[in-house]
Amino acid sequence: MASVYKSLSKSSNEKPESSSNGVKKNKQRVLILSSRGVTYRHRHLLNDIASLLPHSRKDAKFDSKSRLGELNELAELYNCNNVLFFEARKGKDLYVWLSKVPNGPTVKFHLQNLHTMEELHFTGNCLKGSRPILSFDAAFETQPHFRVIKELFLHTFGVPQGARKSKPFVDHVMGFTIADGKIWIRNYQISEVEQSMVKGDGEDYVSEQAATGRSKNTDINLVEIGPRFVLTPLVIQEGSFGGPIIYENREFVSPNQVRADIRRAKAARHSARTEQTVGRLSKKSDLGLRSNGNRRAKDELDKSALFA
Amino acid sequence: MVTKSKLKMALAAEKGIDFSKLKQQKKSKEAAKRKASKEQNGEDESDMDQAGEEVDEEKMNLDAIYESDTSESSIELEKKLPRKPKTTAQAPAADVAADEEEEEDEDDDEEEIPVSDLEDLEEEEKEDIVPHTRLTINNTSALLAALERIAIPTDKSAPFASHQSIVSATETSESIPDVSDDLQRELAFYSQCLEAVRLGRSRLISEGVPFSRPKDYFAEMVKEDAHMEKIKAKLVEEASNKKAAAEARKLRDLKKFGKQVQVSKLQERQKAKRETLDKIKTLKRKRQEHNSDVGTKEADIFDVSVDNEIAKHSQRSGSTRQQSGAHAPNAKRQKKNEKYGFGGKKRHAKSGDAASSGDLSRFNVKRMKSKASRPGKSRRKAAALK
Repeated sequence: MASVYKSLSKSSNEKPESSSNGVKKNKQRVLILSSRGVTYRHRHLLNDIASLLPHSRKDAKFDSKSRLGELNELAELYNCNNVLFFEARKGKDLYVWLSKVPNGPTVKFHLQNLHTMEELHFTGNCLKGSRPILSFDAAFETQPHFRVIKELFLHTFGVPQGARKSKPFVDHVMGFTIADGKIWIRNYQISEVEQSMVKGDGEDYVSEQAATGRSKNTDINLVEIGPRFVLTPLVIQEGSFGGPIIYENREFVSPNQVRADIRRAKAARHSARTEQTVGRLSKKSDLGLRSNGNRRAKDELDKSALFA
Repeated sequence: MVTKSKLKMALAAEKGIDFSKLKQQKKSKEAAKRKASKEQNGEDESDMDQAGEEVDEEKMNLDAIYESDTSESSIELEKKLPRKPKTTAQAPAADVAADEEEEEDEDDDEEEIPVSDLEDLEEEEKEDIVPHTRLTINNTSALLAALERIAIPTDKSAPFASHQSIVSATETSESIPDVSDDLQRELAFYSQCLEAVRLGRSRLISEGVPFSRPKDYFAEMVKEDAHMEKIKAKLVEEASNKKAAAEARKLRDLKKFGKQVQVSKLQERQKAKRETLDKIKTLKRKRQEHNSDVGTKEADIFDVSVDNEIAKHSQRSGSTRQQSGAHAPNAKRQKKNEKYGFGGKKRHAKSGDAASSGDLSRFNVKRMKSKASRPGKSRRKAAALK
């Protein structure tokens, strides 16, 4: 009897909710994996992110860098509808792909200024698998490509309600900010301090508040947890790891280019210096100051000729 | 009227693009759009803008020639445009906003495209064959379509607990004057997040979702205990380092004044010594004057007053030392201080002088005599045999 009542009440409860929700329920699963050739820091960042996302599935390193389309099948195999893929290049550059699996879009970022949780020594901490509040910069609403990126962040980094391993409390916040054309990501712990405690009024006051229930005047502090990183959006594709490019960041200068420029500048400096040296040597030999250089034409009135 | 570089014209010819047809298409699109905008916003677009858009669209079509990818998406663009009225019928309020945004975005495009336009002009002027240059791709409508496909509701209709995302009221980059200024930047991020937390917390609480973790709820944390221990150790180390640095600085400062203090102290001591010696001398002189007296007291015989005087002096010096606060170093230390620094001449400190050779205080006759005597041969042999 009780079970019947339960089922009845459940069905009656769920129906209006789903209808009022409108179209989709927020149901996400993220496949997290990296390519081969990631450094230990990249790997640690990946682990940090995976530990923050209870709705994620971490997989072994993906073998290929050219056939990224296979990631779609892999994600479907694991019932994931999002993919977070770390692509390492040259053992130093890290590119991050964020994709909605069945049919796109895909965003490719360049990841910089990476600091993992371990190396940051921040005192913040949070429950493993608690749902974060996602704080987006207002700039995310200004341009369509940022809106797409925001939606993808929401799906990947936001833990869906009722995710399997999620905890029922909210104790951290993830901040996404656009500055300098890049997206800066921070993760803070929410620490609530009752103001009465801060003031140190007295115990009876505190107990009174506890008796009345939730105290209104809590002070909220944020303590950073980590990790920190910066993403530069490069390309948005319409499909999932494929399809036409619908956005391309032209201002992005690839790290290869940067390195090449630096090297070239150095080479230019060096070549200028060697040129100078060669010039000096030739000048010296022209003046007959070098033993192996061409001798100066002997003058008839040269001392050695006169007094020989 | 179509004025393009030769290369572009050739490309267009190869692709079989008829400019007049394109133009017509564009115009029809333009008209449709104009109509739509008139319906929604009224007539606020000037003719100048329309002309500008015409030119821009021409460019966009040329882009399509360049990039086969974009050509696909531009087809989409055409597909999307007629579809729009349908969606407006579904959700008028939301879509009007979206359309407005789209128009804004197109304005952005108009701002962006002239850059490539300028480049094109330069190309034409130079009439050089410039290698393929990337054009900014920002296919607004395709982006919006993609967004629409994946978007989960985050507006008022959905409960906040379902998404937990908050868009800040102001752009954070406005409060970051210089991105490389770490403190300012992090502060801006912090305040953005804090604002979001305040808002989110109140909304979650009003929806009846548990927010703060009760004190007796223990669960696995993101950073394990070992990690937190490491962090704590790091903090402690930092604090102790800071303390040590402060101490060292204090010592350095003290050392600067220490020399002065020492010199003044030595002078003081010397002065006191001189004074006592003077007093003793005068006393002795007095004694000698009274020595003629027959009935001398015992105290006088044993120079009690001199001893008193000396004792008084030593007492006084002791009291001053106590007043100065620092405890007196032991005798050995004093000797060492004398010898190795802390004032005074360092040379010849070890060499003997008249006083040291005259000093027989450490001489001991017994020690001098009681030399272990060497036993006789037989006895030595016996000892060895044992």
